[in-house]
Amino acid sequence: MHQTGINRFQRRVLPLAVLLFVIISWYIISLFVPSNSVFPSPVDVFFGFLEEAGSGRLANDLIASLFRVTAGFFLAVFLGIPLGLWMGVQPFARAALLPTINFFRNLSPLAWIPFAILWFGIGDAPAVFLIFMAAFFPIVLATIAAVGNIPAVYFRVGSDYGMNRWEILKNITFPAIAPQVITSLRVTAGLSWLVVVAAEMIAGNDGLGFAIWDARNGLRMDLLVSGMIVIGLIGVILDRVLVQLTEIPSIRWGYER
Amino acid sequence: MLYKYLLKWLFGAIAFLLILALLRFQPWQHLNSSLWGETSQTRIESLDVGFLPVTCHLTCPVTDYASRTSIDFRFDSQRYTDFPTMVESIRSGRLEATFMIVPLAMKLREQGVPVRIVYLGHRDGSTVMVRPDLNINNLQDLRGKRFAIPSKYSNQYLVIRRLMSEQGVNPEEINFVELPPPDMPGALSARAIDAYFVGEPFAARAELSGTGKILYHAKDIWPNFISCALVVHENLINRRPEVVADLVRGIAESGEWAENNREEAARIAAPYFRQDEAVVRHVLTRPPDRVSFQMLTPTDEELQRIHDIALESGILDKPVSMQALVDRSFIPEVIRPRTFNN
Repeated sequence: MHQTGINRFQRRVLPLAVLLFVIISWYIISLFVPSNSVFPSPVDVFFGFLEEAGSGRLANDLIASLFRVTAGFFLAVFLGIPLGLWMGVQPFARAALLPTINFFRNLSPLAWIPFAILWFGIGDAPAVFLIFMAAFFPIVLATIAAVGNIPAVYFRVGSDYGMNRWEILKNITFPAIAPQVITSLRVTAGLSWLVVVAAEMIAGNDGLGFAIWDARNGLRMDLLVSGMIVIGLIGVILDRVLVQLTEIPSIRWGYER
Repeated sequence: MLYKYLLKWLFGAIAFLLILALLRFQPWQHLNSSLWGETSQTRIESLDVGFLPVTCHLTCPVTDYASRTSIDFRFDSQRYTDFPTMVESIRSGRLEATFMIVPLAMKLREQGVPVRIVYLGHRDGSTVMVRPDLNINNLQDLRGKRFAIPSKYSNQYLVIRRLMSEQGVNPEEINFVELPPPDMPGALSARAIDAYFVGEPFAARAELSGTGKILYHAKDIWPNFISCALVVHENLINRRPEVVADLVRGIAESGEWAENNREEAARIAAPYFRQDEAVVRHVLTRPPDRVSFQMLTPTDEELQRIHDIALESGILDKPVSMQALVDRSFIPEVIRPRTFNN
């Protein structure tokens, strides 16, 4: 990643300037909208945020959402990557399962909401299930594709060195697919965060998604917007954390073009 | 090299999940309470009762509030945000008592879900709102306009259909759209819709902000209008009939109390609804007969009337027997206003 023509100072200041511009225009527009029940001003939102944070609801909702997304996402990773690896190396399994996986991958996880409520009730379990449904299939497909992209010559070299199947997996397949799989983890983690918010709106009794749904039902636009801002910020932080994965020295090769 | 890093990440991720799980479930709290001898045996029994944050369901949180001082039984009001989720909870057996729009209860019964209407939650309490700039004085003025209803299984829709045929407007002359009640005031002020009919406080919100004009109160077009009833699953009736009787008495007494203590009722219900107390108070007091919590025993005739319009407009596919649907055996003969011991 070469950023030409931009120095460090500009890289720090430009985003802040945009942010400031957005908030100021938001404030000016809100002056012209008579009712803050339709369009809250940044000041309303700030006090709404303080109210939520002060009552402890915000912390509770934040923990609930993060827990669900982490649990569902890990479940998808720990089941998805092995399945993808297996399907990647076994043409038989690939031929048998790929169409089904593709089918489910194209189904919006939100379509499962009624079943999630029927099977798991309301609370953590349905949201974890929905996140799993959102993340699992893309991870499987990305892993299969990554295995398929390994040049055949790598394996030939491996067997020339007399590696057994386990050693090939450990020393060739896994390092070779790591960059591509990590990229897909970053994408699916973002997807999971989108889904947890939507899932909690319907099958929840706490969580950030529920909080904004509830604010809407209570006609509290200020709380709604403050919830939206928190959701967006957490999404950005999650992505920043996962970007660190691509900085691992023996993986970075996959990102340098 | 690679594995060293991946292991580090793996442990970090697992630690993150564990910390979140600890914060979420706070196991030390259970530990604490068991240390202090508060075991599950001594915990008081409770029943979940579903409701939506609308003033038609006001008696539900009031009953919850009143049962908080009870030493042996508690009614936990469970706030839902929409009827489909409520229906799925009932089907899966996780919710056995709830407030619900009457035609939806009939639909469930028709589909073989054994629910019974044991009581009503309110009378009246819905309002037809129109855009103030359009000069609309009756339904004929709404020809060709867009009219929002909460659900086609709502009694609001059925009543409007009935009123249209009384005023000589054909069903296809008004363009009906289903819209979630909280979105209605905003849609009206944005002129995306021209009118709506919904349970309070979603009409009062537009009235208070001046973006809507009241066309009809429910009491003006269908006296003693019913939108929601207390619906109980037969499993609960068979297993714990005394609990159902307690619940019905609780609702009845809470209604009797709320009828004459409206400001106080708004104060109690607003936190349960998580709505602005001023809006709830407005609905309950201006005018006071906008919504009523008395005369909550449903008669076969009035339910039959709703049923017949539902059948006629295709909401129901086959008739539902009122005998199977309604169970009035839990309604107390004498209803005293609820007293609060706190």
